Amino acid sequence: MTVGHDAGAPSGAPAAIRTRGLTKVFKGGQVAVDALDLDVPRGSVFGFLGPNGSGKTTTIRMLLGLVTPTAGDHALLDRPLAEALPSVGAVVEGPAFYPYLSGEANLLRYDAANPASSARDARSRVGQALERVGLSAAAGKRYRAYSLGMRQRLAIAAALLRPRELLVLDEPTNGLDPQGTREVRALVREIARDGTTVFVSSHLLAEVEQMCTHAAVMSHGRLVAQGTISSLHGGRPALLRVETPRAAEAARILDGLGLAEVTAAGSHVTAELGGHAPEEINAALVRQGVPVRGLAVVRPSLEEVFVGLTGEGFDVDG
Amino acid sequence: MRTGKLVRWGVPVAAVAVIGAAVAAGPVIAAVGADPVLPERTASRLLADAAAAARRSDGPPPMSGTVTKTASLGLPQLPGGPESPAALLSGAHEAKVWYGSHDRLRVALPGEMSEKNLIVNGEQAWLWDSSSNTATKIKMPAGEGQPVTPQPTDLTPQQAGERLLAEADRHSTVSVTNTDRVAGRPVYQLVLTPKDPATLVREVRLAVDGETYVPLRVQVYAKGSAEPAFELGFTEIAFEPPAEENFTFTPPQGVKVEEKDLGSLRPDERSHEGHKQEDPPVKTVGDGWGTIAVLPFDRASAAEGEGRQVLDSVLAGATPVSGSWGSGRIVKSKLLTALLTDDGRLLVGAVTPDRLIEAAGTR
Amino acid sequence: MSTADISAAGTSTAGVSTPAAEASAAGASAAGTEVLGQAAASARTAGRSGGVAAFARLLGSELGLTFRRPRNLVMLALLALVPVLIGVVVRTFGSDGDAGGIVAATAGNGLMLTFVSLYVLVPLLMPVAVAVVGGDAIAGEANAGTLRYLLTAPAGRTRLLAVKYLNAVVFSLALTVTVAATALITGLALFPVGDVTLLSGTTVTMAEGLLRTLLIVGYVTAGMAALAAVAMALSTLTEIPIGAVAGTVVLIVVTQVLRAIPQLDWLAPYLLPTRWTGFDAVLRDPVATSDLGQGLLAFCAYTVLFGSLAWARFTSKDITS
Ligand SMILES: Nc1ncnc2c1ncn2[C@@H]1O[C@H](COP(=O)(O)OP(=O)(O)OP(=O)(O)O)[C@@H](O)[C@H]1O
Ligand SMILES: [Mg+2]
Repeated sequence: MTVGHDAGAPSGAPAAIRTRGLTKVFKGGQVAVDALDLDVPRGSVFGFLGPNGSGKTTTIRMLLGLVTPTAGDHALLDRPLAEALPSVGAVVEGPAFYPYLSGEANLLRYDAANPASSARDARSRVGQALERVGLSAAAGKRYRAYSLGMRQRLAIAAALLRPRELLVLDEPTNGLDPQGTREVRALVREIARDGTTVFVSSHLLAEVEQMCTHAAVMSHGRLVAQGTISSLHGGRPALLRVETPRAAEAARILDGLGLAEVTAAGSHVTAELGGHAPEEINAALVRQGVPVRGLAVVRPSLEEVFVGLTGEGFDVDG
Repeated sequence: MRTGKLVRWGVPVAAVAVIGAAVAAGPVIAAVGADPVLPERTASRLLADAAAAARRSDGPPPMSGTVTKTASLGLPQLPGGPESPAALLSGAHEAKVWYGSHDRLRVALPGEMSEKNLIVNGEQAWLWDSSSNTATKIKMPAGEGQPVTPQPTDLTPQQAGERLLAEADRHSTVSVTNTDRVAGRPVYQLVLTPKDPATLVREVRLAVDGETYVPLRVQVYAKGSAEPAFELGFTEIAFEPPAEENFTFTPPQGVKVEEKDLGSLRPDERSHEGHKQEDPPVKTVGDGWGTIAVLPFDRASAAEGEGRQVLDSVLAGATPVSGSWGSGRIVKSKLLTALLTDDGRLLVGAVTPDRLIEAAGTR
Repeated sequence: MSTADISAAGTSTAGVSTPAAEASAAGASAAGTEVLGQAAASARTAGRSGGVAAFARLLGSELGLTFRRPRNLVMLALLALVPVLIGVVVRTFGSDGDAGGIVAATAGNGLMLTFVSLYVLVPLLMPVAVAVVGGDAIAGEANAGTLRYLLTAPAGRTRLLAVKYLNAVVFSLALTVTVAATALITGLALFPVGDVTLLSGTTVTMAEGLLRTLLIVGYVTAGMAALAAVAMALSTLTEIPIGAVAGTVVLIVVTQVLRAIPQLDWLAPYLLPTRWTGFDAVLRDPVATSDLGQGLLAFCAYTVLFGSLAWARFTSKDITS
């Protein structure tokens, strides 16, 4: 069941990530990912949502060639994986570095592993990556001495070692302070502005809502929704909320205007807005002498959409 | 994807196959080369040819090679290190041989980080032992027609072969095969099957080089086992004159040199396996394959030190037996049986225990 | 976009090394094929010339890690200390009659200390050091989680394994050279120097003695490199480096025990430790080339067998650490 299948990405458009029937059954029969059809359009900032254990990291591992799928196909940047990977930056399940090396030496190590990187400009690229994540001052410090947030930043810096066409970030703001979170969000936007596709898995729904153009929702290894953020919202109606001392009268008027689900309670009335313009409803209420103390259109948050799709209660999938 | 994984694991499987084939290559070549590689010969013709070849020249042609001895006699495990004489009764041992002519010979016994050498050159011979850092200079008697120098034949299958040839017809069925290879050379194999049913020996095979008639290998098979119980033969051989350096020896600096006259040297000291023992008066019972040696044996004074230990451990595993002649203990290996009677006689033979017990009754 | 157009569009010719890469090769879309095909082709030609340089760079990075790691340096230093200890002991207490011929010879010639030291270290201590580096190779990275970042960099699984193995070979060489060099220096400092007496009792010049030392260093390195392949194979089986190291050490000890059982004499020529001490073939006159050759063949067989096992395992393994 896929709601709001992205109408903006017609078939054949360049995809940053595309999977068909991607499935992973671990030894012991654990179905971590179940027939996943994911389409991440180029240039999008794509939020990958799902409760703990819903299969996000496993999907990312399969995309990056770390885990062999049990079934199905996948492609990054429409290229064979070995050719695509040099243009893909990734943070997978938190940072991992050599504790006895400095931040700079760690980045040089990962850069050396990329056959497409040249040794000549390695130092300057490492310096730029460190600067981008605000770690220039700690470049010479041993990784062992880094704080959690510094480690997370270093992992993002490793993903930014080269100009990338695609960034895959598995919970990049994990462990960051609010300011760090904001900075990462700004960084992602900046990167996206340069045309890089960003695929970011996260628990922080507000964060996804703020920085993503698209999102997909996983539950128990299955994809339950994917599309643009607005199309995901589109699945749930916007609500009209009127605050007035004469609630019963207002409810009658809204009913008369043809709004659905009108309910009056105490000093306010709510109804589904549907296709009506809020200003016309306001005018109609005032025309009929109902004092309007306040009028608001409430759109459901992504969190409500998310909970609606993955089930009430934030239980771990497994 | 699944097939990809299968193909991947196919690589180590192929590696195992290739390595296994390479390891087994020796025996396989011998087995595969089953087509006759030499013209057929009867046993008598072969022996005559060999004798003629031996008469024509004054010894085997110059050669160098590696001689390996393996014995799996089925003896109980004996105490003592790998250097002890007892160790020679089991396991594999290797010697390198360089043979120039009847009076130019070198035999080297390589050990781990050590080497023993016997170098014979005309009237002079040297013994070198790197583990004790000693060199012994031996003076050879000059001008004798028959060379007294130890020949490779003393250490190689030749000696054993000659003995067998003499015994052959009377006690054995003799046949010849012409399809085998030893150390890569085509050989005739003389197969002697004992007629005496009481012997433990199933057959003895003597391989003789198809070109030079030099005996290259002797194998003794015991009844009831497919692998030879004893084998002595070349694993590498080249019939080319060895480099002259092999027959010269200059004692290294700082090494103590002992001098010996050959007259003072007991024969068994020349050979690496030799160990001193008084020759007891030996009596034999029976003949051919069933020959039993009877010698007096005083257990208390027989052996000292390590020998004592060996004896005790052997006797500990021995089976007590008794008969009209008294009682004793019997030890059986794949090829030999020994009976030590309580009245101080030792009976040894390549025969079944029953035959030994029977022989113990005939005084 | 249907599943059918995805699977129909496979145009990959690239030498991909990971299993997932093969799957994705079949996933390239028809739309991007032409342009990307050209890009890939130019990347490949560039890759071929730059491939060696990039491989050398990764190897350099690996060597940098290995030879800057305190643990490895301590191992090298401890093993370098052994020849010094032997030299000092022989010098101080002399070699009484009981000492083996080769130890006694050390007192007479400093060069002998090199052979004695290798003979003492080759059966266990040097292999343990090699097992630490080889066993850590893959399991250590997996345990630290750095393996997933190396592979997404992308290091390439076959390429990374090759670099790791070469690194272990270089470490084996460094280890052997360190032991031989400290033994040589100690020997020259503590004992008289001159012509060398071989095991066969032949005397050769100092220069030839040094040449033979070089041969021994090469042979012992090859033996240690074969062990490194075994350690590497174990390293691909686990995410716990200590497990791979301990497994290798246990294998060494078990084979040493098997060698000591007379009933298993037939097995001895096929065991690595038997072949390690086979470097004494160089000290005979003439050099026992067939023994050396068989030793090298055995090392080769172990390397190929365990190398291919490591490769098959590592290239088909799920990286979940
Ligand atoms: N190596 C493994 N072996 C067996 N099962 C596994 C393995 N790795 C993950 N799983 C299972 O697969 C499912 C998906 O795990 P995954 O790590 O992909 O979830 P996730 O969405 O990333 O969770 P989180 O938000 O907690 O990071 C879980 O049920 C997990 O237990
Ligand atoms: Mg996860």
